[in-house]
Amino acid sequence: MAVTQIAPTPTFVWPSRQRVASAVLVIATLIAISVYAPSFFRYHNIINVLLQASLLGLLAIGMTIVMIDGGIDLSLPANTAMGAVLGALYMRAGGDWALGALIMIATGVVIGFVNGFAVAHLKMIPFVVTLATMTVVSGASIWMTNSLSISQLPDSFVELFDARPLFGVPVTVLIVAALAAVIAMLMRSSVVGRWAYAVGINERAARVARIPIRRVILASYMFSGLMAGLTAVLLTARLGSASANMGNDGVVLDIVSACVVGGVSIYGGSGRVSGALFGALLITILSNAMNLIGVSYYLSLIVKGAVIIAFVAIDGRKESKS
Amino acid sequence: MSAPQRSLRMEGISKAFAGIAAVRNASLEARGGEAMAIMGANGAGKSTLMNILGGVVASDSGQIVLDGAAVTMRSPRQATQQGVAFVHQELAMLPTLTVAENIFIDSLPSTGPFVRTREMVRRSKALLARLGCSIPPTMPVEQLSIGDQQLIEIARALRQEARVIIFDEPTSSLSGPERQRLFNVIRALKGSGVVIIYITHFLEEIFSICERVTIMRNGETVWSSPISEVDPAKVVHLMLGVSENEGRIRAPVEIKGEPLLAVKGLRREGAIRNVDFEIRSGEIVGLWGLLGSGRTELLRALVGLDPVDDGTISWRSGESFEPITPEQLRVHVGLITEDRRGEGVLLPLSVSDNIALPNLKSLLNRWRLIDASRQVALADSMIDRLKIKASSRDQIVATLSGGNQQKVVFGRWLATNPRLFLLDEPTRGLDVSAKTEINRLIVELAEKGCSVLLVSSELQELMRVCDRYLIISRGRLVDALPGSANTNALMQSIATIDKDLEDAA
Amino acid sequence: MTARQKIVDFLFRRGFFVVFALIFAFFSLATSHFFRADNILNIFSAMDPLAITASGVALVVMSGRLDISVGSTAFLSCAIGALLINQNDLNPVLAALIVVCCGALLGAINGFIVVVLNVNALVATLSTMIAYRGVALALTDALLVQLPPPIRFLGNTRVGPVPVDIFVMLVVLVLVHLLQTSTAFGRQIMAIGNDITVARKIGLPVDRTGFFSFVLAGVLASIGGMLTTIQNGAVSPFLGNGLEFTAVAVVVVGGISLLGGRGAILFSVIPGAFIFEMIRNGLTNLGADPYSYRLVGGAVIFAAMYADALKSGRFSMGRRL
Repeated sequence: MAVTQIAPTPTFVWPSRQRVASAVLVIATLIAISVYAPSFFRYHNIINVLLQASLLGLLAIGMTIVMIDGGIDLSLPANTAMGAVLGALYMRAGGDWALGALIMIATGVVIGFVNGFAVAHLKMIPFVVTLATMTVVSGASIWMTNSLSISQLPDSFVELFDARPLFGVPVTVLIVAALAAVIAMLMRSSVVGRWAYAVGINERAARVARIPIRRVILASYMFSGLMAGLTAVLLTARLGSASANMGNDGVVLDIVSACVVGGVSIYGGSGRVSGALFGALLITILSNAMNLIGVSYYLSLIVKGAVIIAFVAIDGRKESKS
Repeated sequence: MSAPQRSLRMEGISKAFAGIAAVRNASLEARGGEAMAIMGANGAGKSTLMNILGGVVASDSGQIVLDGAAVTMRSPRQATQQGVAFVHQELAMLPTLTVAENIFIDSLPSTGPFVRTREMVRRSKALLARLGCSIPPTMPVEQLSIGDQQLIEIARALRQEARVIIFDEPTSSLSGPERQRLFNVIRALKGSGVVIIYITHFLEEIFSICERVTIMRNGETVWSSPISEVDPAKVVHLMLGVSENEGRIRAPVEIKGEPLLAVKGLRREGAIRNVDFEIRSGEIVGLWGLLGSGRTELLRALVGLDPVDDGTISWRSGESFEPITPEQLRVHVGLITEDRRGEGVLLPLSVSDNIALPNLKSLLNRWRLIDASRQVALADSMIDRLKIKASSRDQIVATLSGGNQQKVVFGRWLATNPRLFLLDEPTRGLDVSAKTEINRLIVELAEKGCSVLLVSSELQELMRVCDRYLIISRGRLVDALPGSANTNALMQSIATIDKDLEDAA
Repeated sequence: MTARQKIVDFLFRRGFFVVFALIFAFFSLATSHFFRADNILNIFSAMDPLAITASGVALVVMSGRLDISVGSTAFLSCAIGALLINQNDLNPVLAALIVVCCGALLGAINGFIVVVLNVNALVATLSTMIAYRGVALALTDALLVQLPPPIRFLGNTRVGPVPVDIFVMLVVLVLVHLLQTSTAFGRQIMAIGNDITVARKIGLPVDRTGFFSFVLAGVLASIGGMLTTIQNGAVSPFLGNGLEFTAVAVVVVGGISLLGGRGAILFSVIPGAFIFEMIRNGLTNLGADPYSYRLVGGAVIFAAMYADALKSGRFSMGRRL
């Protein structure tokens, strides 16, 4: 017997405070929906919610990876917008849509690299760096498009992602689900994934354990950039157009809410892809429900802000300076 | 008519952390105008006892009597109000604020909202003058040397009208002249009737500055007397409580042949001075010195965790014996640091995940993903080999006992098959049987050809396994003794050497 | 020191002035409209709200934290004041008082979340930033809120050729500067920014001080917002947009370290705010696209932060979040 039995494993473990909070939120939302907005359950609406949740989920996954190793990336929506705009401009100018999609993805990775380099090698504070990137990038995309959206994109592009091969579930949702599964597995079973968790848990100990910290951090930002690029592709296809407005402030709030509700700790070291997806779904349902109930957009911002604060407060861990 | 002499009495103090007793029925009796030295090895309980006196932790039982009245210390602020000032080893300074502000920060003299800066400066000047110090009070503290900052902290204590001042390792960062200045200040403080408590690892100091000495061991007060009744060797003896009964696990082996590792001229400003030594395959070398002698700094510098200013490290690889950088050396070495919880294990992870962490590359399957069954096999083999007591391989390391946590750290490095192990206090905080197990493990490693550089404050432990000893003091290797050296010889080596160094400094 | 080291050292210490001089020279040469007395006064006038708001942010930064909700605080508190004047015929002076109280309240909410609930300051103020803006947009229906003529008139008052705003700014900044350098509260803020653990150990009222730093930031943001509102004669739905970022940038560009514990308000905020408005003014005079300002501003901020990181890299490993 390899393991010396010393104490029986506990049979009942109280769920963590965050799980309880999430459960409360889900239940409250469902109750509100069934009372005030039964139209939620219409097929069209559900598909809509799934689509939106998958796109948000993709960004949330990107954010989750960065949060796991202790950072944060506020530039994701702006990154998405920029990628979408660049790719769409290319496509409208007669370019091949596949190359256009590639441009979107590449933009994401490049911006992610800039963020990652600043944090990992220049040792800048992630929050402020990504805030700066967000401002510059969204400013640039507004400037480039003059606040207009870019449409007239190749039909083949839009239709590809509009197809519904499986029980009417759109391609986009399937793609995101598949991607999430792969990423979840990689985070658990790849060397880099383990390293990311270690860096987020305790950077000093990770250093002693010979983990290449700077490489890990840089990679995580490039990965979130990649997610932003992918989202640009899927979102543009869904909307049939690209605009700088894809990167507005509200989306950042949604991403952070999704992660926080999904059990990802902003202090690093914990969080799972499945949690991010769950959080994205919950936040999308919440937004959709508030919309259907007739809550003003602005009020919904307050609700989401309160949710973030509540969940982080429940997390309770003290911020620690390394 | 002179004021009655101050007195401090701690009686029956006990404190346990997570079920393990740190202090057991300890007592202390000190008088105003005197400096009382508190001596004890790592883990002897003196830090805890002083933390209790300083209000940093609350005792489980016992009482503190100051000037005849019982006092309660629930927080550092309360302790300050009761007149107990604690000058920690890590000074409580606010670097960008001025000297005067640092002295008065918790009680800034103000009219309405405005600080009476001129008065603050004037009073600071006076306080510093009492300490024989003429630092301008308007200078930002960050521009001062540690020695000067320390005086400011003492000035703060004076301002708080402290009745008792505790000094915790005050001289570890001071130069020779600064140390003398500190001693003069302490003499002045004694002259004004303050009770001085002096904690240090530097033996020679207590004979210069203290009138009484209290020695702690294993959480208990084992000795208290005027300083004239002891000499350095006796103090060390009492501190370490060596009994010759614990036998050697392995007789010292004299390893001949080419060195595995050779270090020449290693230097790190402020920590290590000109260190030369060699280690051969299969040797267990003990690095013996008291805390603050630079032992930890040496180990960390060897593997590049701290920067190195000068020196060559040569490593044998097959037939070649060439210089390598510390970062490169780290790949071949298993390092167990002093700070198990901060740098050793990753507390929220399981035993299995912790052991796997540096070994991930060897657990990959053909798709370059971590093979769960391989990880399980590795974890199980380490748990088995080291007899790690855990309810399962998935138990969270934070819930294991200290000894088992340490075994997890060993397990993680064992799997990398290093040729050299650097161990910094590997058995600190472990119970007796765990200590023995680790010591046996160390010997086992050596028999298999692995070399070990072992740092420990416990002479007993070193004497059970080491093939030879290197004596380190104030960042320099000052002596080398063979494995056959007896207790007295070893204790003398650190007890007397320091004095020579001090005269030379 | 090698020549390279000497240059680097010089840049660190005097870099700001170098950059300032370069930019000033550039604009002066590039367009004739720039280097004129009335234009320079314009810059001084336009920078006042920014400087006032930035001084509040500076206090929070010096205590070792960050507050990015100031733009939204300015907007919401002014929106409430403007609506009260228009819809309830409230006496403007009273309304102004209410604006300041709102600013204090909004700041207090931040303080509560950060200090009492122990939520990371960045995340907390990110949330309140968006939430406050949401409330303000809801109240104003995202429309411009015009203020009655007497107030608009006030926005143009001058003492001789010099707009009154400049004096207001100077008074406010001097007060804040005095607060930071000569009151116990100010010194304790610096203490916390130096090392919050040491400050707690010494027994300073760390939580209370932190809380009030947020309240002050809110008050100063609302005053800054009021100044802009009076200058424009209206509360625009874009009031304070991006201000949070610009205010932080002003603080950093002005030389206050984001790690806390350092800096002096007067000598950092005024030059910092001036440089930003100068850039915006210069770009407008050049006929550049209004959106380019955000880009250029962002680049300057990036450079400033890089410099700050390099400077503080000397002191620490850098903060994580």
